[in-house]
This record gives sequence, C-alpha cells and structure tokens, in this order.
Amino acid sequence: MKKSKYIELVLITAALASCHQPGNKDWESGNGHTYIRSDSTAPYSPMRRNGYGGARMWYYAFRPYGNYNNGYYERAGYYSDAIHESANIGSNSFKGSVVRGGFGGGFSVSS
Amino acid sequence: MERITIQPRNNWQSAVEKLGFGFHTTNIPYWDESAYYSFTMPEVLKLEKATAELWDLCLGAVQHVMDNNLYQQFGIPEYIIPLIEKSWTEDHPAIYGRFDFSYKNGDIKLLEFNADTPTSLYEAGIVQWFWLQDFDKSKDQFNSIHEKLIAYWRYLKQYLYDDTLYFTCLKETLEDLTNTEYMRDCAMQGGLETELIFIDDIGWDASREVFVDMKEKDIKNIFKLYPWEWMLKDDFGKNIAADKNKSLWVEPAWKMILSNKAILPILWQLYPQCPYILPAYFEADRLTDYVKKPILSREGANIDIIQNNLSIEKTEGEYGKEGFIYQQLCSLPEFNGNHAVIGSWVIGQQPAGMGIRESTSLITNNTSRFVPHLID
Repeated sequence: MKKSKYIELVLITAALASCHQPGNKDWESGNGHTYIRSDSTAPYSPMRRNGYGGARMWYYAFRPYGNYNNGYYERAGYYSDAIHESANIGSNSFKGSVVRGGFGGGFSVSS
Repeated sequence: MERITIQPRNNWQSAVEKLGFGFHTTNIPYWDESAYYSFTMPEVLKLEKATAELWDLCLGAVQHVMDNNLYQQFGIPEYIIPLIEKSWTEDHPAIYGRFDFSYKNGDIKLLEFNADTPTSLYEAGIVQWFWLQDFDKSKDQFNSIHEKLIAYWRYLKQYLYDDTLYFTCLKETLEDLTNTEYMRDCAMQGGLETELIFIDDIGWDASREVFVDMKEKDIKNIFKLYPWEWMLKDDFGKNIAADKNKSLWVEPAWKMILSNKAILPILWQLYPQCPYILPAYFEADRLTDYVKKPILSREGANIDIIQNNLSIEKTEGEYGKEGFIYQQLCSLPEFNGNHAVIGSWVIGQQPAGMGIRESTSLITNNTSRFVPHLID
C-alpha cells in the first residue's frame, strides 16, 4: 500500500510543462500570415491557427516524413495540422506509398 | 469513507502544473483539493479485495463470451473476432484497467469497467500523491500505481517485439496526451525504448501491409489511448487484421469485450452470488429502478436513470446505436450534495490504487471533479 518515498518522472514534467508556457507574443498577436508548405512539390498556403500555437508547436508542427535508403534517412517533407490540405498536395515517391489519417476521429477518450 | 473539507494549498495551481498536470481546470475546476476523502485501512482492504476478485471474474467472463460466441451482443464486427481470440489465447500484453465502484454503507458495487482506455491515471498515480506529501506526509494512500506501472512494463518487455514501443493518442487533447506521456514515462523507466506518435499520423504502407511511423519505420509494438471501437469503425481499421507484422497493440484486442458494457449482464448471468455485481440485463422489462446505458459510451453520455419506470435524470450524447444494457439502479454515496465514484485500478493483474471523482449530478460525467484521498 505504502508508496515509495521518491517518485521520479523522467519524461513527462519537462515535456508537458513546456506546453503551458506563455507563447511568444509577437508570434501570437501578429496580424501577418505565415506561409508554409509541406514540401517542395506543394504550393504555399497561410498557416492555420488551431488554438494552441506557442509552445504547443513543439508537438504539432513540422513532423517530418521520409524514408531510409541504403541506411541513410531521407526527409521528404513535413506533415502538420498547421498546413492546409492544399499545401500538402503534390506528389513524391513517399507520399504515394503510405496512407495516413485513417485513425483519429473523436475529441478525447476521457472515461 | 468520509469527505473532509479543507483549505486548498495557496499555490495549488502552480504546484500541480509543475508536475505537468495542465488540465486541472477547464471552464470549471477538475482537480479539486478543497476537500479530501478519508478511508480507514479496513475499507481500503475491502476495496482491494473486491478489485482482485472482480478482475478474476472478468477474465472468466471473457472466456465465456468466446466459448459461446456472444460477440453479436457486444456489437463487435465479425472480421476482428480472430484477432480478439488470438490476442487472448496468445496472452498479448495488457497492462491496466479501472473499475468504477459505488461504495455506500459498506457495500461495493461495480458500475462499469474501463478496461481499454481508462483515464485519470496521472491524477491518481502522481498528482494526488504529491498533494499528500504537502498535506500530511505521515499519512498513506491507496496508491502504488506508479511503481506497479514501471514494474509491469519491465516485466512485459520480454513479451513485446524487440523493437520500439510506440505510444499514441489523439492530437488535440491535453488530457489524453498527459495520460499517454505518463504511461510512456513509466515504460521508459521500465527499460523500454519508446516513441510518441499521434494516432492520425500512423501510416499504413499498402505495398508492404504494415503500419509505419512518420519516418516509414515499421510499428510493431504500440500502446494506444484510443478505443478499439473507434479504430474499427472505418475501413482503415481493417488493416489491423491484415498487418503483416502482427503488431502488438496494448491494450490487446480482447479488451474490447471487457470495456463494453455488454459485459455487465454477462457478469450478472455468470456470477449472481457475487456481492459486487449488480443485476443487469439486455432487456428493459426486467427491472423497475435501473440505469439504461449504451454498450459503448464515454463520460456518462446517453445515460438514463429510471425510477419506478420514470426517467429521473438523463444525459445527451451520440452513443446508443449499438444497443443498450439495463443495470439495477445503485445510487452513489452522497456527501453534502457531492456524489462520489471510486475508480479502482488494476495494473499487471493486481489492485494498484484508486482515484475518486465526484459530481453534483447522479451521473458522473465530464464535469466531474477529481478529489484526492488518504488513509486515516
């Protein structure tokens, strides 16, 4: 029943605490748009604001995709919620072979 | 079991945020330390015993469902049955579950079992323990969640593929991310190599028929905080059965049976003498005071409480098309207008601790509050 006297968290406090730091005000309040695209095969589009911004970008922006070729990793582009679908359009050999987004409906699994 | 009103810590918000607990308040408080629940040791031992016994009975009920091919009552699609049975017979890794109990006048009654995607793990395992260190270090708590998670991940390592263990959840929910990252933290401390991937980033390589991460690396082991029924609702879920790697999903597919409320009438049918199990049926006409529950629902959605055949409290939601079960009404203990439900954790087949959520309504829903506890 008794818990140990010392509990260590190696991952979660640092990673999640960063989610709650105030965002960069210049970034948050700027009226100008930021234009991004997933890779060089796609057109640019204005970046989406999904309500998180700031430190949450640590999780949500710029998730690379690519492949290993002869032992070397080749980055082909990025997936991001901040990127509009139109900016994800374009073809390259990696986009063609893998389907993503099949899982992921719902808001929270909270039980 | 008593509810004691206290003064919250002056700095409680920053204290819990330092732990990485960011969803303590939404538009209403969720973490509530203006009170705590006090238990005697005999009460806790009783809860521990009930948890252990019910876990055993649940395993028996799973076998019964398989032996008698009762999947239709659970709304489980036929194509996934071989995977369910394979995960059961091969004993694929499973780590946790949470029983929800009413504990009133000394009687423990099982309300439901969150066997697939239980949440409030971090609050129960970490946040309330650190609260106790500030409030009264000399007291104990029914809580060995953290230690048991680390120990069980270490034990499970030999039953996983010798490869990265991925952790996945929905993208835009801090609550799910916190629970998932906490679980990953424990797995890392258990000696596993881990990686986080959001659920909609999981890729399916159609040419090789395998799941892949963002770098096209095969996913062979994956912990998901995402319900099986959601995974299977779209065609993409059919890839799970076609997966050439035969990836290990934690929780395993057989947990679909236990996390479904159709298990409640099965438990009653099998174990009517068990003091913890409430009468429950698939038919509405067997009881006059009962709770109508969708077999698949979350956060108290689409629940209807019927007394003397009249609805006295009802919630809306989007569940119910798969069917309902009818469970004898069992009111929760009330403390000055607060209705408390006990979430009792099973980790690695053993009782591991509890968390208490309370609500002003009869139905515990997504506006309930997590209140810490101690043993006096």
